[in-house]
Amino acid sequence: MTDSPDPLASPDPAIQATGIHKAFGVVQALRGISFSLDAGDFLTIFGPNGAGKTTLIKILTGLTSASGGTAKVAGFEVGNGDSRLRREIGVIAHATCLYADLSALENLVFYANMYNLENPEDRAIEAIKEVGLEGRMHDRIGTFSRGMQQRISIARAVIHDPSILFLDEPFTGLDPHGSRVLKEYLHSLHTKKRTIIMTTHDLSCGMEMGDKVAVQMKGRFALFENKDNLDTGGFEELYFETINNGN
Amino acid sequence: MHPYLNQIKAIVRKDLVTELKTRELFSSMFIFAVLVIIIFIFSVDLSIVKANEVGPGVLWVAFLFAGTMGLNRSFMLEKENGCLEGLILTPADRTAIYFGKLISNLIFLLVMEIFILPLFMIFFNVDLIAHLGPLLVVIFMGTLGFCAIGTLLSSLSSNLKTREIMLPILLYPLIVPVVIAVVKMTGQVLDGKSLGAMMNWIGLTLAFDIIYIGVSILTIDHILEE
Repeated sequence: MTDSPDPLASPDPAIQATGIHKAFGVVQALRGISFSLDAGDFLTIFGPNGAGKTTLIKILTGLTSASGGTAKVAGFEVGNGDSRLRREIGVIAHATCLYADLSALENLVFYANMYNLENPEDRAIEAIKEVGLEGRMHDRIGTFSRGMQQRISIARAVIHDPSILFLDEPFTGLDPHGSRVLKEYLHSLHTKKRTIIMTTHDLSCGMEMGDKVAVQMKGRFALFENKDNLDTGGFEELYFETINNGN
Repeated sequence: MHPYLNQIKAIVRKDLVTELKTRELFSSMFIFAVLVIIIFIFSVDLSIVKANEVGPGVLWVAFLFAGTMGLNRSFMLEKENGCLEGLILTPADRTAIYFGKLISNLIFLLVMEIFILPLFMIFFNVDLIAHLGPLLVVIFMGTLGFCAIGTLLSSLSSNLKTREIMLPILLYPLIVPVVIAVVKMTGQVLDGKSLGAMMNWIGLTLAFDIIYIGVSILTIDHILEE
């Protein structure tokens, strides 16, 4: 971690994407997405199913390669397999990335070891306490509810204290209570000056949490704006208008 | 401990803990291997055919078929709940993931094989104890080759809908040289020959073990990327 740039101290953007394209055969999933985020920004990306939101997240996290364009995350070029980039990011997706037969503690100790953290067990216990599940830390993940699994998944994603978080529809499948707990926890993560990109279908929640807003349509950003420049109350109307214009 | 080795150790430990809790992999591989041996014992008349001639082939068929089940399960565990993505997102080198899974698979198969040997000895009425040392060396070399290329191919086939079919189709043609070598060596060991008398076969097996591991190191990066 010593050779990683400090994203908050750096004058460079935390995330810089330039003309990102992605094609799956003849299907164009992304058609030249460009944007920039400073350290500490929270970008919410809205968009209908199939707009390419998950593909964009996968490219920015290095899980898949872009067909064209370039992206820098935390000062590192995406797509060249630089392990220092992976130390700087945490990813929370619909899939929890947790082993169902292992306990919450065993899962997090495993990930702490994969990040080569010092005192992996202590760090895992600390992370479980942060999401309020210390009472269940020795229970198998397979016995957890969807909401509890998602909270452990968040603990997994932030166990190495990443400076940038990617959240791909993190509220999917959560009940209102689970959503509220998750929202509060994500808010606390953002106040710690992490840069966050979140995709969601929940307009009110996304507007409440983000300070920048994008609407993605057919592989492009049809809208990218500071939340301060938008009428929050009338956003739903603007969203559907943007979607309809895009169609 | 070096970070690279620590990551390999973490993967092996995770797989072993999972297996100790579920015992899914071992029990299915063991039962399958026992069934293969039982089927062969009823289809071969050992009063006509020498056990030392037919036994090695039966033993390795049991090992390889049961091992294929284990390999299939190995990366399927990583696909459940998107765990493979979680693993790829860590700063671990892709080869550390490969070696972690290789060592786990090797341990599972070797344990299963050690449990199968006494049954094989009883069913085929062959004295393995007198040749146990050389036999274990041969089994280790063969299993290493099988796991080396099998781990790579199971990571490849885990992304396919037809993974249970694709793994054997991809694996068996590639593993043929090692299978021929270890079956020959096992037969010679049971006939009382020393390892020194079969250096050609040992060289062939080790060469393929190295080739399989080398190819895996070179390609695992691309295979794990979607």
